Amino acid sequence: MALGLNYSSGGNGGDIVPFVKYDARAGRMFRRDRTQDSSGAYVSDDVDITSTFKAVFDLENIEVGFSKFGAGAAPEHLFVKLGDPMPQKPADTGFKQGARIMMKLAANCGGDIREITGNSTAFLKGIDDLHTAYEAGKAANPGKLPVVILKTALPITSGSGAKKSTNYQPVFEISGWAPRPNDLVHVAKSAGQQATQAGPAAAPSTGSTQVSAPQAAKQLEPAGADDFG
Amino acid sequence: MKFQRHSPSSLNLFAASPALFVLEKIMGHRQPGSAPMYRGTAVEDGVTHGLLNLAAPLDECSAVALKKYDTISALSGDKRREEYRITIPDMVKSALEELRPYGIPTECQKFVEWKPKGLAYPIVGFLDYHWADHNITIDLKTTEKMPSSVKVAHARQISLYVTSNNADARACYVTPKKHATYQIENVDAHRNALHQMAMRCEAFLALSEDPEFFKSITIPDLDSFYWGGPARQLAFEHWGI
Repeated sequence: MALGLNYSSGGNGGDIVPFVKYDARAGRMFRRDRTQDSSGAYVSDDVDITSTFKAVFDLENIEVGFSKFGAGAAPEHLFVKLGDPMPQKPADTGFKQGARIMMKLAANCGGDIREITGNSTAFLKGIDDLHTAYEAGKAANPGKLPVVILKTALPITSGSGAKKSTNYQPVFEISGWAPRPNDLVHVAKSAGQQATQAGPAAAPSTGSTQVSAPQAAKQLEPAGADDFG
Repeated sequence: MKFQRHSPSSLNLFAASPALFVLEKIMGHRQPGSAPMYRGTAVEDGVTHGLLNLAAPLDECSAVALKKYDTISALSGDKRREEYRITIPDMVKSALEELRPYGIPTECQKFVEWKPKGLAYPIVGFLDYHWADHNITIDLKTTEKMPSSVKVAHARQISLYVTSNNADARACYVTPKKHATYQIENVDAHRNALHQMAMRCEAFLALSEDPEFFKSITIPDLDSFYWGGPARQLAFEHWGI
């Protein structure tokens, strides 16, 4: 770590990595800045960097797993590097599949090392598409990381009636490739991982619960001779 | 020694009968297939045909399975060959009743490779069916008697298949009359068991480059079903018992 930054507290103090956050409900990207006020207390300030967002993404070390963003509580993450076995999904239904990427922001939107985590479907779809583009381009750019911009955000409407809601899928674009910045040093997000990997108290069961096909799939009938259009 | 990769079945064999593992994987004496094994392969072909072609009639799917069975068992001396053959159409029907509601699988017989830290060789396998839209992976198992839970060896095998996608792992058991799909529990633990088995297998293999050495430190259990059939004679020839 060239700047001597500590990206992980490694203790109970929680995560101290500066971050940017994508608000899927608004389709906006924010940089969370923490500053001390005159009394010495820390205050948070969300700076909208949607229109200027540009960063070198460490997609080489993208992490996936489960995240919980509980109201009024510190986020909880169980991440592994993409390609490693996924951690066991916690029984807590608040945990949803998520992803985490470290990045170096461009100078005009902060210029420092940040991370982004998210578990909304819209966010993950955007990251998935970006990763696909990264996979397609990395062979032609050996040793480099993608420079990513937020091109737009696509509205995705789900539900109906009172439950209808709209989220915005980020559409990232690789605008170029750059050597890894010296200070963009990947440090795995391992909070909670230790407890998860602790062995079970008894021999693991294999499963005796009978399951059936998902309901939605039952609609997948082959088209008949009377089907048109 | 031409050992290049682990598979769930080879690791289970290593755990169950080290001597037969030596005979097959180190000395290269592969045991001939059996009627149950041929039936499993054949039923899977018929079921795959029926899943990729949801409108295909059962007779057509059974014909695919029977043709496969006749092809791969053509030289088999297994006395159960005909007895198992006649159960194939019912098994195909049973499996399709269970699996067609999932729709058309997005992947069939997909190669899966996992090489966790500390292993010299990867653990590989082929998953039977995956539905990406539901992120469900199912392995089809043909059996004479419906189990009440997933067999340990199967849990390990299917846990390997969902290493990279965290899919809902399931085992679908079919008999000529019954079918049931079970959800695999404790996927991480079962996959870790495979890892542990592979590490011990590699520690075993590292003992020597000489196949004959491994004969000197193992011995067949002749009462085990593993040593019935042609293996019995090989036990005599190689171990002198």
